[in-house]
Amino acid sequence: MENSIKGEQIIQDLLPRKFKTSGRIWVGILVAICLVGVYAYYRQLRYGLVVTNMRDYVSWGIYISNFVFFVAISLVGSLITAVFRLAGVKWGAPLTRIAEMIAVGAIIFASVIIIVDMGSPERFYNLFLYGRIQSPIIWDVIVITTYFFISLLLLYYPLLPDIKILLRFKEKSGPGLHKFYSFLGSFWKGSHKQYLLSKKAINALCVAIIPVAFTIHTVTSWLFATTYRPGWDSTNFGAYFIAGAFLVGAGSVVVAMYIFRTWYHLEKYITPDHFDKMGRVLVLLCLLYLYFNVNEFLTPFFKMKESEAGYLNDLFSGSFALTFWFAILTGIILPIIILLFKSGRKPLPMFIVGIMVVVGAWFKRYLIVTPTLLHPFMPMHDVPQMYKHYFPSWEEWAISMASLAGTMLIITILCRIFPIIPIQETLDEHHETVK
Amino acid sequence: MNTMKLLNKLLAGSIAVMLLLSANKGFSQGAEKASLSITLSYFEVNNQLPHISAMVKTKVDGRFKPAAGIPLKLFLSKDSSGTVIGNIITDENGQGFAFIPPSLKSEWKSSKTHTFLATFDGNKKYESAKADLTVAKAKIEISTSDKTITAKVFQLNDTTWVPVKGVDVKFGVKRLGADLPVNETPTFTTDSTGQAAADFKRDSIPGDSKGNIVLVAKVEDNDQFGNIAVEKTVPWGAKFIPVSNFNERTLFATRDKAPIWLIIVSGGIIIAVWLTLILLVQNIFRIKKLGQETE
Repeated sequence: MENSIKGEQIIQDLLPRKFKTSGRIWVGILVAICLVGVYAYYRQLRYGLVVTNMRDYVSWGIYISNFVFFVAISLVGSLITAVFRLAGVKWGAPLTRIAEMIAVGAIIFASVIIIVDMGSPERFYNLFLYGRIQSPIIWDVIVITTYFFISLLLLYYPLLPDIKILLRFKEKSGPGLHKFYSFLGSFWKGSHKQYLLSKKAINALCVAIIPVAFTIHTVTSWLFATTYRPGWDSTNFGAYFIAGAFLVGAGSVVVAMYIFRTWYHLEKYITPDHFDKMGRVLVLLCLLYLYFNVNEFLTPFFKMKESEAGYLNDLFSGSFALTFWFAILTGIILPIIILLFKSGRKPLPMFIVGIMVVVGAWFKRYLIVTPTLLHPFMPMHDVPQMYKHYFPSWEEWAISMASLAGTMLIITILCRIFPIIPIQETLDEHHETVK
Repeated sequence: MNTMKLLNKLLAGSIAVMLLLSANKGFSQGAEKASLSITLSYFEVNNQLPHISAMVKTKVDGRFKPAAGIPLKLFLSKDSSGTVIGNIITDENGQGFAFIPPSLKSEWKSSKTHTFLATFDGNKKYESAKADLTVAKAKIEISTSDKTITAKVFQLNDTTWVPVKGVDVKFGVKRLGADLPVNETPTFTTDSTGQAAADFKRDSIPGDSKGNIVLVAKVEDNDQFGNIAVEKTVPWGAKFIPVSNFNERTLFATRDKAPIWLIIVSGGIIIAVWLTLILLVQNIFRIKKLGQETE
């Protein structure tokens, strides 16, 4: 960072800002999408899950694909915040809050979408009352709750020094937000003892979040892998899911970095160097995920067991081939090719690559869920022909899109309330550089 | 010119006649019926009600294949149309069977041999067909002692049963799919007293809860006697004690029957993580208290 940036200038640059017209339009669009989703969900509650196109064959459809996608994205909090921090990666500091905001938004909607997938959500409490500890679904419920709580704490602790700064600008934040800031952290005086306690807590959280993050996505993969079906019956699934999760999480951070940088003019704080380094991380994660994909598909393809042939052929050359190869090419292969070049790691190409990775990852989650369900080991007899095909109904699309919009809305609201880049950390780094 | 026209007419006429003839030949080929081959078999188990089994085949592309849906009429005696055993229709394997009904008891007892008859009247697809099978009445008696099985084969001679020499007998243990031979020798031949004996060499074979197994002595596809068999239950098997983990602590049991190791491991992890989180929340209050003290 340039030495010429003064402390007060940094604060002014990084303070949360009120939405301008474009911001309001953005929020309006997200709210509108959410409202359509709410109406679709009302119809689902009113008429039951029959409004979806999920039937006896495909009982986990786009909702569960979305759930896996959200869980995957949420893992980025642990990567950028914890892994980078513990590994002493200093350049990642400005990105930590973005990552944590994405993690919190995604994990909230991972929980919401699971409830949406339930036919009778009013019976949700039975999961806690009568849940079996032997069931991976219960493990998932426990781990998601834990991860959500850790993510909140990891968002909150580093915010404390920034809240002290925010409280100085009452006229800028307005009385409502000022009151909220006071509630959250008016007790933070920045004393040495407070600093030590906070640092200790952040370190403990960073250590705790890594195994929990690995567990959350491994357990999510076990929801599939412990079920005996073509494509899911794999010992590779835990590692395969985690590799994919880190990739899509990093991709989403890159997209958010570019948008925030451009929208809030944060070019001095999120520099091309950050993009270059995130590009290197992203290409590594792409290669890792490619490796696991080769493991996941090459060996079954080579053996082509009769019971799995229908599923594999449908993926490679059948009705899902277009989606499959799109997801592989767009989400993995093309990003690797682009990111290997230095010019490919500049902000705009990185932004495009980030979108490719995220979109490819969403389709990849859809492919993990649906084709397998359409090819059971024991085909059902006497079912209507329509059960053997699946394409989400408009209600499913509306609810799923609303969940994506909801996640972005949470991130948008969080970045309206809190600084996107940690102010105190940036100031400390600036002082160190000046010295 | 006229000659050419005449030649053309003759040629066209000849072609038309040839086509008509060939078409007629084609139709006549399509109307040809296929022939059926019927095979009859006689079965009697434990000297109980015998049954007659029929297998019907037809030649398709030079190979015999089962003919399904063929209605057959079975008779007890070849010469008497009044001794109808019953009507059967062959299944997809070309097979069908019928027990000799109690109404034919007197006819059955009247002779020491019977010639069974199966007839098919023919239909649009197949020519009519018939087959017969002559069977002499015979029985097997089975006895066991000291892990040796002895079978005696008798034939009905007027009113008395006389031993039969030179009949191949198989000894086996009844299992789910088929009969397992009692030792490595596949068949034993009866001597002049009609006896054949085999040593039982399947000591560790699982039986029921008391170790009971079912031995079987049988004569298979014999030209004279057909298929006859007799069974005997002996306690020569290993006692089978079913192992059930129903209602025990397993991964697939109800929630109150979770494995102890799972409860300890998962409980330990949950307690450790949430204890840390509670301490971290408590830490916020400590930071708050420090802040209030500073004021």
